Amino acid sequence: MFPASVPTRLLAALGLVVSVTACSSTPATTSDAFSVWDPYPQFTAESEWAKTIDKCGTEAGVKIQRQAYDTTDLTSKVLLAAQQGTAPHVLVLDNPVVSTLAEAGVLKPNQDVGLDASQVSPNLAAAGVVNGQTYGTPIGANTLALYYNKAVLAAAGVDPASIKDWDSLTAALAKVKASGKKGITFSAIGTEEGTFQFLPWFWGAGASLTDLPSGKAALELWKSWLDNGYAPNSVVGNTQTTSWQEFATGEYAFTENGTWQLGNAKKAGFEYGVIPIPGRTGGTAPAPTGGEFVTVPAQSDKDAETKAGRVATCLTAPDKVLASDTALTYISAVPSVQQQQVSAQPELAVWVEAVKNAKGRTGDDLGTKYPKISQPLWGAVQAALTGAKTPEAALRDAQASAK
Amino acid sequence: MRSRLAGWAFLLPLVAYLAVCYAYPLFTNVDLSIRGYTVRSFVHGGAPLVGFDNYVTVFSDPTFRTALVNTVLFTLISLFCQYTIGLAAALFFARGFRLSATLRALFLVPWLLPLIVSASTWAWLLNSESGLVNAVLKGVGLDPVNWLTSPDWSLVAVTIANIWIGIPFNLVVLYSGLQNIPREVYEASALDGASGWQTFWHVTFPLLRPVSAITLLLGLVYTLKVFDIIWIMTKGGPSGSSTTLATWAYELGFGNMLPRFGPSAAVGNVLILIAVVAGLLYIRTQRRQELA
Amino acid sequence: MRSWRTPVGVLLTALMLFPVYWMVNVSLTPMSDMRKPPSMFPVNPTTEGYERVLREQLPYLGTSLLVAAGTVVLTLVLAAPAAYSLAKLRPAGRPTLGFVLLVAQMIPGIIMALGFYGIYVKLGITNTVWGLVLADSTIAVPFAVLILTSFMASVPDEVLQAAKIDGAGPWRSFVSIVLPASRNGLVTAALFSFLWAWSDFLFAATLDSGGALQPLTLGIYRYIGNNNQEWNSIMATAVVASVPATVLIVVAQRFVAAGVTSGAVKD
Repeated sequence: MFPASVPTRLLAALGLVVSVTACSSTPATTSDAFSVWDPYPQFTAESEWAKTIDKCGTEAGVKIQRQAYDTTDLTSKVLLAAQQGTAPHVLVLDNPVVSTLAEAGVLKPNQDVGLDASQVSPNLAAAGVVNGQTYGTPIGANTLALYYNKAVLAAAGVDPASIKDWDSLTAALAKVKASGKKGITFSAIGTEEGTFQFLPWFWGAGASLTDLPSGKAALELWKSWLDNGYAPNSVVGNTQTTSWQEFATGEYAFTENGTWQLGNAKKAGFEYGVIPIPGRTGGTAPAPTGGEFVTVPAQSDKDAETKAGRVATCLTAPDKVLASDTALTYISAVPSVQQQQVSAQPELAVWVEAVKNAKGRTGDDLGTKYPKISQPLWGAVQAALTGAKTPEAALRDAQASAK
Repeated sequence: MRSRLAGWAFLLPLVAYLAVCYAYPLFTNVDLSIRGYTVRSFVHGGAPLVGFDNYVTVFSDPTFRTALVNTVLFTLISLFCQYTIGLAAALFFARGFRLSATLRALFLVPWLLPLIVSASTWAWLLNSESGLVNAVLKGVGLDPVNWLTSPDWSLVAVTIANIWIGIPFNLVVLYSGLQNIPREVYEASALDGASGWQTFWHVTFPLLRPVSAITLLLGLVYTLKVFDIIWIMTKGGPSGSSTTLATWAYELGFGNMLPRFGPSAAVGNVLILIAVVAGLLYIRTQRRQELA
Repeated sequence: MRSWRTPVGVLLTALMLFPVYWMVNVSLTPMSDMRKPPSMFPVNPTTEGYERVLREQLPYLGTSLLVAAGTVVLTLVLAAPAAYSLAKLRPAGRPTLGFVLLVAQMIPGIIMALGFYGIYVKLGITNTVWGLVLADSTIAVPFAVLILTSFMASVPDEVLQAAKIDGAGPWRSFVSIVLPASRNGLVTAALFSFLWAWSDFLFAATLDSGGALQPLTLGIYRYIGNNNQEWNSIMATAVVASVPATVLIVVAQRFVAAGVTSGAVKD
């Protein structure tokens, strides 16, 4: 692709010079630093989380270099780094990805590195179980429920306790709309967030991720809310953050949102409450578990793996994890710590209950197949909500492309 | 002979740079696109050569058609509007007037904004519920438009934002092109009694042709690659209605829990191929002009 | 004639800059008013966004300046001699190289970033400022070569012939004749490479997002990302981010104008 007249040898020599200088000027310190990657860029070096990491490093006798990445491209970065043999020593990553990385041989099973997830609730640890081995341990968990605005519901004459199933919820939305306020907002964006938000309804309809068309009723429910003006059209582009911001205007009766919004809820300036997401015909719909796992990627150096195991154990130890979970507004994955959280903040009780009922996205033996199903699913949700396809056709097409 | 050696001596740093910084990523990408990577073989090696399998996967995906059509529409409409508006502005500013230098400088401000900022600003202006544009539409009695959340409008919305961002580039290059046209040419044309419009069509525009060609070509290259604006405003959605080849390549490789590097690389290569064809066309027309 | 152009120019500029004004407006709007019907002026202006930016974003600003300045230097050092060679020394294989440059520009940033990430990780130079400078220069170098070649081609051959007769070698002709004569082109190329490096997000996000020294685009992204979309802080950062670049472009504009005048005198 270069002109033939170029003296190739000279070119090669020059290329060599460039790469040699590149190598020689590499700071030598990066190689012996112990790296921890996490998806919490919102936490600065002064944050409690960063301090906890440093503390755990000191306890394990290593100097830690923490790097915070955006959660969406963390997987790709880890894979590229692992390909070059420079995976981080400790990796904190979103739970549905754990099984994929474990199967790829990027992660070490807990027993090899002395990590112990036995204190964690089984429904939360499940996302890290691949072929009978457990990989990593959850730092905490979050899930979804319905936040409601007390004043808006009172003005519309709706008693939140009356919401038991989809019909009563839809009836409540109708009353709210009649009273001049807006019904419900959620996130149906074309990313994993969209699937995450749709799952409680999907599962609440009794559907299974191995058979997407079985969730037709859930998609029809969402679509009917948009058609009747109970939910704004902006849900199609909403992230969970932007849908929260809509709720925070005080105009909306409900938002489907997560544990992590509790801090913001207190700042919203109105009285709010939380109810679990109802199932289609009653009961509580299983909501998906969110939250990250602390894992130990494979290294060529066994000693480094062991040290990484110690750091990971320290990061998820009950005494340390309380502070981290408080900072993240997560529910702890360890039942004893959950009780501590509830006694300190009684309003967390409903969330602890929700986390107990929550279901891992990679459960049902889906494991590494989950990402292949999740993407067509959010596509189907978008196609149906925008009217591009009927809910039934959208789910059918999604099922076809998931194979 | 000596000057030829000197010529290569001056070129050498650039050639070495191109080899290191472009050839390698390109090679990696071609390699990625012809192998059947799983997550495991991506990390541990040993992915089999699969020839054009990834390309077949990509071409037979219904998203490919949408992405291709969207890319063509997005690129052509953006180019046309950017160039026309940029040229009009360049002509307008070419006649010095009071404040012209300052205003021209201010015109470039959209270019200064990091794309992440301008895209966010547009997303906010076009927000269905609390965006200014819909508030204005309501104010004059029109129905609000779901700019970013309706499949009929999302491509329009990102195209508008992209045109806005591209105007300064066209203005700068076309303006310097106009400045390079000798003043005598205009004077001669004025002496012949040509009107402003005639002068433009018969003198300015033809003389500006080389600069126009390079502006449009660079514009094409940049527009084909546009990713940030679309990704921040719509993520290519809703349901793929504003997906272009560039955003699709990113979505396959990075915007997904399970990266599909092979098909992503294949889409990237298709994109390069389209650009290369455009480049060849440019060179051919240029050569014909040189001959003529 | 002049009388109508100024007001129209002001009007057009105002229209063009409206989104920028909107950015400033939002940067002064308190969080609580953000989702209410938009108002043309910040009714209850707040400086909380700016306070936060000045508290948190100054180091990012410094890094961005460093990266952008480094990119300009690297780009010009690589592009100017090459452009001189292509425009005036006309070595064999010129069209091929021109074509390679064109193709080089066409490689989508994502592919470049993917390739760079692999190399950088192997060499351990992710999260370094000069690593980012090298990556950012790839956005600008092909463009700079093309634009400088066309500027340098317009330097009259007779002038160079005369210099050659006076005994000037290619290097002296380059430094003392071609470079000064193509000052406009140099300013344009410098301007663009500065702005591209300044606003780059993709390379920063892939190659430098875990380090101690990060550019401003990542600083902004911190506000957009994970669960805290605070528009007044985002927009305040954006406003702060545009200040040095605006100063630069106003200065450079004057330079371009000066170059144009001297060109006119030359004719």
